[in-house]
Amino acid sequence: MTLHMTADQAPVAPAAEPDVLLNVENVSLSFGGVKAISDISFDVHKGEIRAIIGPNGAGKTSMLNVINGFYHPQQGTITFRGQVRNNMRADQAVGQGIARTFQNVALFKGMSTLDNIMAGRNYMMKTGFFWQCLYWGRAQQEEIEHRQKVEEIIDFLEIQHIRRTPVGRLPYGLQKRVELARALAMEPDLLLLDEPMAGMNLEEKEDMSRYILDVNQQYGTTIALIEHDMGVVMDLSDRVVVLDYGRKIADGIPEEVQANQDVIDAYLGVSHD
Amino acid sequence: MEALYTVFIDPFVQMVEAPDFLLQVLWEGLVSGVLYSLIALGFVLIFKSSRIFNFAQGIMVVFAALTLVGLHENGVPAWAAVPLTLLVMYGLAFSIERVVLRPLINQPDIVLFMATIGVTLFLIGFGEFVFGGENKVMITEQLGIPVGSLEFEPFGGFLLIEEKDVTAVALAILLVVGLLTFLNKSSMGRAIRALGDDHQAALSVGISLSTIWVLVWFIAGVIALVTGIVWGARAGVSFALEVIAYKALPVLMLGGLESVSGAIIGGLAIGILEKLFEIYWGQPLLGGNTETWFAFIFALIVLLFRPQGLFGEKIIERI
Repeated sequence: MTLHMTADQAPVAPAAEPDVLLNVENVSLSFGGVKAISDISFDVHKGEIRAIIGPNGAGKTSMLNVINGFYHPQQGTITFRGQVRNNMRADQAVGQGIARTFQNVALFKGMSTLDNIMAGRNYMMKTGFFWQCLYWGRAQQEEIEHRQKVEEIIDFLEIQHIRRTPVGRLPYGLQKRVELARALAMEPDLLLLDEPMAGMNLEEKEDMSRYILDVNQQYGTTIALIEHDMGVVMDLSDRVVVLDYGRKIADGIPEEVQANQDVIDAYLGVSHD
Repeated sequence: MEALYTVFIDPFVQMVEAPDFLLQVLWEGLVSGVLYSLIALGFVLIFKSSRIFNFAQGIMVVFAALTLVGLHENGVPAWAAVPLTLLVMYGLAFSIERVVLRPLINQPDIVLFMATIGVTLFLIGFGEFVFGGENKVMITEQLGIPVGSLEFEPFGGFLLIEEKDVTAVALAILLVVGLLTFLNKSSMGRAIRALGDDHQAALSVGISLSTIWVLVWFIAGVIALVTGIVWGARAGVSFALEVIAYKALPVLMLGGLESVSGAIIGGLAIGILEKLFEIYWGQPLLGGNTETWFAFIFALIVLLFRPQGLFGEKIIERI
């Protein structure tokens, strides 16, 4: 695969004292009487790929929702780039450098691929209402500037041929890729991917893994991902945190986690000898 | 045989025999059609971005027109009254978002629809309280809208076009072109379309629900003011103006609630067709006054064959 982009940042080499980008401390979240997350702590280092795994209903997606502000935890703190984030609104997460994709593909189905990705850059556009109505001067210039960046991303993810297609008509695998493109267009420091490979065939999974690694290495984007495919998780991630029934049961490099008896029992199933 | 002749042949014979009169009828129809389109556009914008059927669109027209005239009556010069009215409409949009819509986020559509009925009733009461219930005259001349008329002689006949109708059409076209550019080209327009498509995804790309809602309701307010001015210039300013909003309903049925071009084409079609029907079929055969119901019957017939409207989005989705 050819890569059309120059890396803004060199791949981050593992340092002796890793730089913590996101720190989750003792976070608990409940809906009424149901505890979705109880007392979970983990951190994400700058430049790494961090996987969050666990059986269905373990609280993985809730965790992502807490990180980007869709849910507000009842207890605990979340520190991003050294700043504590309290009860921030979901639409403010982007401005702070957190972008995400969704488990069940949340794209603007009636809009073209291009428009979807451009929407990812909306928050950077500052031209006033009046000029936008005229689509003149600053407003037009701004669109063109952002369009260049979007075209780079389209090249990078090899989706040139579907640029003008309304995304509702695309096959599922491509929709997932457009969603990744939209998240990349936000130029995030932290990219949250909720099951980026769900429902894909082997070939599509390999492609997606490749893109995720490239994003991580070329842009130096830190990635936190939820995934069910163990092979993918073990290959891609630097460190893995395992949740079960809203609790953390393991945390470490893939090999450690794989060998952990609690994880085997809870997630991979007890082995029958 | 006689009846068939009067229904199917005679009207067309008349059209051909008096082409100047036909032009006159078409022009009148076009002017009403443009106004129907404008009002329908207000509905479509709000529906597209928030799935709310805004029942209050009609009363917003009355409220905008009343505010404009009321300000002028109280000594505000016309050139200042327009921006001031726009400011009032912005305040209205802002308050509706804060007081009515925000607490109802995530409620079923029907709840939000009911809430806009509430807004309608409030605006009727509030409008009467502030400006009184009596009819007013639109400050047409003070706003610099020409009131003369133009006369033409096409086909050796006679055609009279009022200058204020020309202004109305020109204003409406300007507004529509501006809106279309805004919606399709600008980033805020994209945000409006995005929000209509998927709330959650819109939030995740940093589009603020409340900002866009205020924006959309304000645009609906601007449309209301323009409609209020041009319709008020023809028919006077009173609470009866609200009724023309109901004329937008068949337009929406025809055009589909989500289609901007549908609203425009639907509005023009209904305006022209109801006028033609009234003059050539309604008055000679049915005793006239068919304009009150023609649009609804027409829309019903269309719906029989195309339930999503002529231009409604039939969403093709992979499952």
